[in-house]
Amino acid sequence: MVFELFKGQSGSGLEAVEARIEEMLHTCGEVLGLAISAFEPGMSAREIGPLVRETDRKVNKTERSIRRDLVVHVSVQSGADLPLVLVYMSIIKDIERIGDYAKNIWDVAAALEDGGPDLSMMDPLFERTIALVSEIADAYVSRDTERATALLNRCDGWLDEYDDNVDALMLSELPSTVGVPQALLNRHLKRVTAHLMNVLTSVVMPFDRLDYWDEDKIDRD
Amino acid sequence: MWIRAVAVLAFLFLFLVGVKALESGIKAFGADTAERLFELVSSPIAALSAGILATVLVQSSSVSTATIVGMVGSGALTLTAAVPMIMGANIGTTVTNTLASLGHIRQGQEFRRAFAGATIHDFFNIISVAVLLPLELWTGFLSRAATYLTDVLTGRDIAVSAVPSSSPIKDAIEVPIGLVTRAVEALTDVPAVRGFTLLAVGLALIFTALTSITRNMRMLMAGRIEASLNAMLSKGAGLGAMVVGMLITISVQSSSITTSVLIPLVAAGILSLENAYPVTLGANVGTTITALLASLAADRPEALTIAITHTLFNLTGILMLYPIPAVRRIPLVLARRLAETAQQHKQLVLAYVLGAFVALPVIGIVVF
Repeated sequence: MVFELFKGQSGSGLEAVEARIEEMLHTCGEVLGLAISAFEPGMSAREIGPLVRETDRKVNKTERSIRRDLVVHVSVQSGADLPLVLVYMSIIKDIERIGDYAKNIWDVAAALEDGGPDLSMMDPLFERTIALVSEIADAYVSRDTERATALLNRCDGWLDEYDDNVDALMLSELPSTVGVPQALLNRHLKRVTAHLMNVLTSVVMPFDRLDYWDEDKIDRD
Repeated sequence: MWIRAVAVLAFLFLFLVGVKALESGIKAFGADTAERLFELVSSPIAALSAGILATVLVQSSSVSTATIVGMVGSGALTLTAAVPMIMGANIGTTVTNTLASLGHIRQGQEFRRAFAGATIHDFFNIISVAVLLPLELWTGFLSRAATYLTDVLTGRDIAVSAVPSSSPIKDAIEVPIGLVTRAVEALTDVPAVRGFTLLAVGLALIFTALTSITRNMRMLMAGRIEASLNAMLSKGAGLGAMVVGMLITISVQSSSITTSVLIPLVAAGILSLENAYPVTLGANVGTTITALLASLAADRPEALTIAITHTLFNLTGILMLYPIPAVRRIPLVLARRLAETAQQHKQLVLAYVLGAFVALPVIGIVVF
């Protein structure tokens, strides 16, 4: 700790926070991938469970550590960049929630372990969500507003699609053993997508309107 | 960045000019002023109280200790009278982080932690003074040791030497001081007015220069301070934290900055009281650098002696209160108890701040 006073780093500690947010996003992609892999044929949800929980704990640990760094930053820098610190607080909460939804997705797989319905219709939705994490991370790190806007618009469409799927499942004649897991997974994927969108709103929206992309269409238009 | 570094050096030079102007101002008042000043702080309690009150008023022990060094350097204040004053400055400086902790007063648990984090510094300094001041008055062990070190460092025997010492720094300071003195002399012939003007110029320069050094160094060092605090939070405290506290304070020239930065961390619960404690002790030692720097501008070696006494006092306080775990816990326990009471009775906070930092020092000056 004494050596840090003599090291070359003299800029804002927020650069380190930024790097750890990127790391947190990638870890989230990892935990989501692990949870979804429990649905693959031949995979055992029970065996994957400890890995999912361990990776999620890593996400939570990084969140707590970033929070500590942000308090230190505000204390040392006298709150000069307080809005940015608040943005980071909002972002890490969203990323942490993605880890929780990954566990919820795994819960569905674990409940169906001993003989569940065929859920292969969910595969395209799973794949696009895993790919979305990387896309969001790239757009966030590069602060590419055009790409961010395009991604947000695409995700906005997905949110409607997940809602439509759940509505359709509620009215369908499918047995509950098939309809309930599908509805739950659609709901969880919708929340993962929404939290990923929240992260990206920080690139294109002012602080007071963070997280409100899907509820702010009139303003945007 | 380089502009700031150069500005810091320029302000440091201005600070030394300020100390010298203060010294010249006191000398210009004449010998009877020195006698009156001696009478005012002839009692150690009065001198201690003056040190506390002066530091509370300027919210900076760096300014008050530099002023004391300037007064000792001019011969207006003896070493014996200055030692309690410098100890008082140590207590007075703790008011800043106590005030910083009041920002959390609406949040119960948060305030309790913040107030304990702030008052641990108060209790450490009060206990140090309560033990070391009587010992110093009885034996003179701190000032004797400081006199010996001054003799070693200057290569002179200050007990017999009355000739002002010289150095390249002092020679450089003489140029602006000569200009200021001549300008004041051209304005008035009255010694008291000359003295007052030089004194005011000196104090203004010391205050402005130190404030500017602190502001610039804080900006220069913020990233490094942040990184070292982050490392401290992940690795724990101990002697390393003490060194961090000392180095941060030396770099920003203000123990109040170091201790006040800790308050939100303690309040948020991410830095424990036990881990904040050594950082404040390091800040106590680090802040003595200002008096040592101020002594560079002074004529008399006694100025260096009082600056060294300041350092020795803080080091002795640490050696007395920190190594033995049972003794180390005393300020922690007292701070926690006071904070618990303060959380339940918020009016006590105001009574504590006004009582310890204003009323008691005023009584100390008036009565003693």
